[in-house]
Amino acid sequence: MNGDEVVKAVREVLGSSLLEGVTVKPNRVNMVVDKGAHRRAIEALKSKFGEVHLFSIVGADLKDRLELTYNLWLYEAKIHVMLKTSLPLDGLEIETITDLIPGSTLYEREVYEMLGVLFKGHPNLKRLFLPEDWPEGLWPLRKNAKLEEVA
Amino acid sequence: MSSIDLVIGPQHPALHEPERFLFKVEGETVIDVEPRIGYVHRGIEKALENRTFVQGVYLAERVCGICNVAHSLCYVQAMEDICEVELPERAKYLRVIAHELNRIHSHILLLGVAGELLGFMTLFMLMWRDREDVMDLIERLTGNRVNSAYNVVGGVRRDIDSKLAEDLRKVMDRLYERMVRYKKVFANDPTVRARTVGVGLLSRAKAVDLCAVGPTTRGSGVKADVRDYLPYAAYEDLDFKLVSYEEGDVWARLMVRVDETLEAIELIKRSLDKMPSGPICIKPPRVIPKGEGFSVVEAPRGDLNYHVYGKGASTPDRVKIRTPTYANIPAVCEMFKGGYIADIPATLVSIDPCFACTDRVAIINVETGERRSLTIEELTRRGK
Repeated sequence: MNGDEVVKAVREVLGSSLLEGVTVKPNRVNMVVDKGAHRRAIEALKSKFGEVHLFSIVGADLKDRLELTYNLWLYEAKIHVMLKTSLPLDGLEIETITDLIPGSTLYEREVYEMLGVLFKGHPNLKRLFLPEDWPEGLWPLRKNAKLEEVA
Repeated sequence: MSSIDLVIGPQHPALHEPERFLFKVEGETVIDVEPRIGYVHRGIEKALENRTFVQGVYLAERVCGICNVAHSLCYVQAMEDICEVELPERAKYLRVIAHELNRIHSHILLLGVAGELLGFMTLFMLMWRDREDVMDLIERLTGNRVNSAYNVVGGVRRDIDSKLAEDLRKVMDRLYERMVRYKKVFANDPTVRARTVGVGLLSRAKAVDLCAVGPTTRGSGVKADVRDYLPYAAYEDLDFKLVSYEEGDVWARLMVRVDETLEAIELIKRSLDKMPSGPICIKPPRVIPKGEGFSVVEAPRGDLNYHVYGKGASTPDRVKIRTPTYANIPAVCEMFKGGYIADIPATLVSIDPCFACTDRVAIINVETGERRSLTIEELTRRGK
């Protein structure tokens, strides 16, 4: 199985919501989807390629937007899918994937805590690592976070 | 019967690191659990953004002392992924040797601790004695017992000479015999079996759903090992054999580690046989180009991955670390459910928890009005 077949399978389901799909390395595919289409992409991958392992959910503040990357491993196809979607910094909301991949519960909580992304439908979206007296609304991994008063 | 809350941790004799679990129990049976992690959160991801990628190697391996080789390896591989550096062949084999020595000492450490928690002190003493031989080899190979700083972008730091290679073989042969003996103990001893067989069950389906990793998932019959499915360094040429057990209990997870230690010994011997001569390092680029790098390695506790954003400077823009114990927290919570309170320590130890790994991500006082980096002195002071 190669990366192009994975891209093709997802494109069939997502159509124009799949903004970009490239095989970047022999075992790696980069996919960029519209905001909100990530759930359909994961559903498509699960139904076509069987068991999916979630390596990590990465949030990165790119100053003009926030990029979320779902690093997925397809056990059968042996392909690493970097599923990316962008959120505007003034609207950090996205649907949870905890019902599709139950192993994502803590990862979503971490992204929420560190970057302030609200995962709609998450069963228990509470802070995870930071101390109890951490100020509300201070997202430490944002590039503009003011950390001097807590450090 | 109504349930009561039982708090274990952050400080508790059965926990070797600070962590808190809130168990809901009915009688002796655990019906639900809420983990609270973060007590050893040091803000390493944020701190890595303020360091050059060369300095980053030293900080990355301090995420976890026990599996430091996996961390430095994964970090440099992510950098090499962005820079598209091609490694010298010999360096790939040397990386395998350091990585597997690291795995052997980590697995023996855990198996010894498991012995202790199961009330089998002799096993703990014997296994930790044998672990010392491995620590000595790590010191001779890398220059240090624990944090080894062995991997660098473009290769490794030190080579193996013929004397060390000979001693490696000698110690590995001896250790193999000992491990075969310990395997019999873990497989047959009534004390071990009474405390582990059928305890802390995790079904195959749950292991996949909860994205469990490493020996935890392989103990539930999932055949997933990064060295097998996405080989890095020299694993492709080493005829690696994946270990998995079907039972899904504490016993199976311990047996996976016993067998993996045997396999790691074989891998080291095979690496010594096959290792070509030549350079061990190439000069790395000074700047990480714009772009993304991703690397995943099989750390002793499961797959460890780093995702790095380069910004065309000597420092990275974002480093995301996903450690194996963190990935296994949902799985271990599942294992507790339906079990007895008395089985909590054995169940927890079976994922080989490493909470320093789990708690690492953000926040450090790098900004005090002006942006500045922590000095080494400050870092060491904070560690005390």
